[in-house]
Amino acid sequence: MKSQSEDQRATVTRSTAGSQTPAEAAEATTEIEVPDIGAPEPVATEPSRGNGRPLPPSVLTPPPPAPPPHLDDYRNIIGQAHLDALQFLARDLKGKSIKMVNSTAVGGGVAEILNRLVPLLAELEVPTHWDVITGGNDFFEVTKAFHNALHGSSYELTKAAQEIFLMYNEQNRERLQFGEEMVVIHDPQPVGLIRSRDKTRASWVWRCHIDLSNPDAHVWDFLRPFVERYDAAIFSSQSFARQLPIPQYLFYPCIDPLSEKNKELPDAVVQKICDDFGIDRSRPIVTQVSRFDRLKDPVGVVHAYKLAKKYVDCQLVLAGGGASDDPEGAVVLQEVKRAAGDDRDIIILDLPPWCALEINAIQRASTIVVQKSLKEGFGLTVTEALWKGKPTIAGAVGGIPNQIIHKLTGVLVHSVEGCAYQIRYLLTHPDFAKRIGASGHEHVKENFLMTTNVKRWLLLIRILERAKSRRATGR
Amino acid sequence: MRTPDKPFYFNTSEHLLRIGRQKATTLCELWQALQTCPDDSIFQHTFCTLQEHHFIQQGFSNDFAHWCLSACNEPVLAEQLASVDVREFTAIEGLRRRMVSIVDDFLQRHPRSGSKAGHEPFYFCAADIVVLPTPFSPDSLPGFLDGLKQVSVHSIHHHFIEARLRLHLMSNDFSQWLEEEVGLPQAADAIERIDIYTNTMEGVRQQIATIVEQASNWDNQN
Repeated sequence: MKSQSEDQRATVTRSTAGSQTPAEAAEATTEIEVPDIGAPEPVATEPSRGNGRPLPPSVLTPPPPAPPPHLDDYRNIIGQAHLDALQFLARDLKGKSIKMVNSTAVGGGVAEILNRLVPLLAELEVPTHWDVITGGNDFFEVTKAFHNALHGSSYELTKAAQEIFLMYNEQNRERLQFGEEMVVIHDPQPVGLIRSRDKTRASWVWRCHIDLSNPDAHVWDFLRPFVERYDAAIFSSQSFARQLPIPQYLFYPCIDPLSEKNKELPDAVVQKICDDFGIDRSRPIVTQVSRFDRLKDPVGVVHAYKLAKKYVDCQLVLAGGGASDDPEGAVVLQEVKRAAGDDRDIIILDLPPWCALEINAIQRASTIVVQKSLKEGFGLTVTEALWKGKPTIAGAVGGIPNQIIHKLTGVLVHSVEGCAYQIRYLLTHPDFAKRIGASGHEHVKENFLMTTNVKRWLLLIRILERAKSRRATGR
Repeated sequence: MRTPDKPFYFNTSEHLLRIGRQKATTLCELWQALQTCPDDSIFQHTFCTLQEHHFIQQGFSNDFAHWCLSACNEPVLAEQLASVDVREFTAIEGLRRRMVSIVDDFLQRHPRSGSKAGHEPFYFCAADIVVLPTPFSPDSLPGFLDGLKQVSVHSIHHHFIEARLRLHLMSNDFSQWLEEEVGLPQAADAIERIDIYTNTMEGVRQQIATIVEQASNWDNQN
């Protein structure tokens, strides 16, 4: 029998049956062997505290999923006036419905967002149907390659790959019905479903969750004609968009303030988790939460901590995952351990992916949160830290400058030395740290919460319906 | 003080950001794009951005100034752009001319700065705006104060800042109603003079409430 970590390394899960709903698709799965890429074997085979102390047994198995929250549960967070605005927006949309289509029902950020978004829209009486496309291993190998190519990796786009992509899109097009007022296609995998557009009354929207700022030209040239047939496209950052002849909207990614990762925690829970991990809450705690990935620069964070520690007392917590299921992650973890040396104040935690509550507690216990990425998508770990009111130091890359307004909602840095200086400054200027932490929290509340995301969808359907009606009346 | 003939309808506006076609990577490009971008882009990066950043008390004025500082490292130009008060304008064209003129003057004095690339581009955006009602439409001063305290800061922004472009007056919806319907011209004037650049929008709300409460008390005592 393979260990859990070996399973994670060796397989990915994809829905393949002709299922209609995400729940069915989640059940109807098959395991696909990941091709052997000849990378080094991971060193760590189970989650562990990097400096030798084993993780507590409580984190070794995943907790049961929490039920999704109701709209009313957000009242104390966003206030009645914002809930009223959602109700007013939804009121004029009664009878309109939305269809969301993506490529996976479980795992990944899109499924995570849809799992929360769909019930909230339904509660506002805007019925939202969620379908998952199906495909064989060959389809998902092609779409994975497309995904990497759209992120900038070079890729040879073959005729065979194009045919596989088109064939599965056609199969799904024949299977799915599009009777709603708005159809939202998430990411490139199902983009070809737009060919059904002319048979429907819907407004079609392409929601792109990935960074298209520097795509492989051949793959983008192949996908672009599909994208241009949509009524609108949505991107997560201005810098991720392309020049297109259709309107492009900006929907920031969001966090759910009621999720395990972000909900309020009693201090006793925070204390217990810190005790379990050997984190001393009586002394300053500097934390970076991220996968052990070179693009997150964990070694740079260790160097910055060491530079800062010449002036200020603190501990460094590097909490993340990826070392157990990713060969490169294991190598990076070893590099981090080497950089840390025998410093007992550096606590390295290689956590399994279900440790949301533990991450929440560590972030809440932290004095400062760092996200010294060298390249980043939107950077939701920054959003999480800001939401918890933590003074945050982050690399000025990807979507981070959308979240951190330098010296107002956090601090942006461009080097190890800059990061070290800001750690020193924030630890010795608690009033300033508190002020930017509070502003960061408000910034997230205004722009990056799930409820704001719900509002954006309601606004979009209203705007597109208005445009459709203008077209119909020739005004 | 008199009983108003017309109630005050508290509305709110919600914005959906659109990514525009233009971007600037240098100050020269910013200067050019400022002259040709749609009015709603100027509106977005000056008026609307104040709503998105309503919680910042000090140091944030508009997106152009912020970019000149954070991406181009030009503090002088940033300060000059930041000093532009959107409430001095009742139409976008005047605001656009002021912004263009400030960048133009700066580039004439510092021609080398014009072609230096910023750390990141400035992306011109705009917003599609939907105006919504709220549950509050008071027809008395106590009712007005109650509504003022309960509506969102988006509603405050809508009536206090965006209103200028709708009214084409150097005023705001609150002051208009208080002066014309309630007969409180001094309170209306005091509200108009609240500094939005040294307050959060929550602070603006509190100041309006204080002014109205004081005017109401003074009027009752006399």
